[in-house]
Amino acid sequence: MQPGALRQERDVREAYAAHSGELYGFAMRSLGDSGLAEEAVQETFVRAWRAGERFDPEVGSLRTWLFAILRNVVIDLSRARAARPRVAEGGVEPSVEPLEQALLAWQVEEALRRIGEDHRRVLLETHFRGRPYNEVAAELGVPEGTVKSRVYYGLKAMRVALEEMGYED
Amino acid sequence: MKTDECREWRHSLGAYVLGDLPADERAGVQAHLEGCAECRAEAESLKSVAVLLPLADPDRVERPASQPSPELAARIEATIGGERRRGRQRRQRRRFGFALGGVAAAAAAAALAIAILPGGGGGEPEQHVEFGALPGGVKIYATLEPHAYGTEIHMYVKGVRSGTLCRVYLRGPHGERVPAGTFTYRWGDDSDAVLSSALDLSRTRAIGVHAGNRTFVAPVDTGGATASTHSNQEDVT
Repeated sequence: MQPGALRQERDVREAYAAHSGELYGFAMRSLGDSGLAEEAVQETFVRAWRAGERFDPEVGSLRTWLFAILRNVVIDLSRARAARPRVAEGGVEPSVEPLEQALLAWQVEEALRRIGEDHRRVLLETHFRGRPYNEVAAELGVPEGTVKSRVYYGLKAMRVALEEMGYED
Repeated sequence: MKTDECREWRHSLGAYVLGDLPADERAGVQAHLEGCAECRAEAESLKSVAVLLPLADPDRVERPASQPSPELAARIEATIGGERRRGRQRRQRRRFGFALGGVAAAAAAAALAIAILPGGGGGEPEQHVEFGALPGGVKIYATLEPHAYGTEIHMYVKGVRSGTLCRVYLRGPHGERVPAGTFTYRWGDDSDAVLSSALDLSRTRAIGVHAGNRTFVAPVDTGGATASTHSNQEDVT
């Protein structure tokens, strides 16, 4: 048996403990419904278990593999949910582009969650909310230079977090 | 190697790639980058993250991450466990050579058939028991697996009336009956019932099923123990 392959129920339990939170987070972000998101995560682990022999840790991590399965599951569930005559009449397959976008957006948000609170705070206040650096510095009771360096280290930490999630630019 | 000058400008690189620097500072950073390949590479690396930021919704980031319900793990395990058992059941049926047509005749001819096949946990054999001499159309067989807690039993019943309550027990070396649980047979259900008993498989001499008003018993050969001589069909007392 290859290391990491999901051949035993114990392997699935371990994989669930390690990755279910993230998988569910992305499923929620994509499907916007907790019931559907749980269905997607369940289907992902069942499919992974059925195809456990095909998982090759040399090709990619278990996490990446699970996300690839989840992506397909989310597409299937979205199509099932959105199945309406007009899709068939139009003869156009639903685009997968929004889903890729959703995955990337979720990864960026997850990266922001993973970096330290100090770094996240300055990025949210200065960049996302457009507040001046000196105002944020005064609010936090730190020099303006510290806010600037937190922005810098925050971005660096986000890059590491994104790479951990398999993002490649 | 980074110079002090680099160190000074580096801390502004985050605000620079995000476009948040005032014009004069921006010009200063640009002038430094033109002459410093190392800082240019660093700026490029940060820029690749900065361009992704507009994708994020800050309100979502600050909201507590939602978690799946605690029952989800159990549901997944149950689904996978069910598939695993069904897969084993299919393999088992193939091993027994159950063909729907021939079963009744074979069962009538054989008093009892016992098969011991390799497999099961920890290298110990799991036992496959087929109940013999059953009424026409009825099939019962079981797989017994040894565990530290006792014995896991997979029970497969077919041909009795739908809705029949089946009570299963294991019989020990002194004739004692140790309950293994109950299940209801439903017509059309092709799955096996999974039960457990505290009696160790090595001490199990027979397995019995009360189904409706009848009781069927099959001996279990646990290595060295002689097969029981009781009838394979008992009256309910």
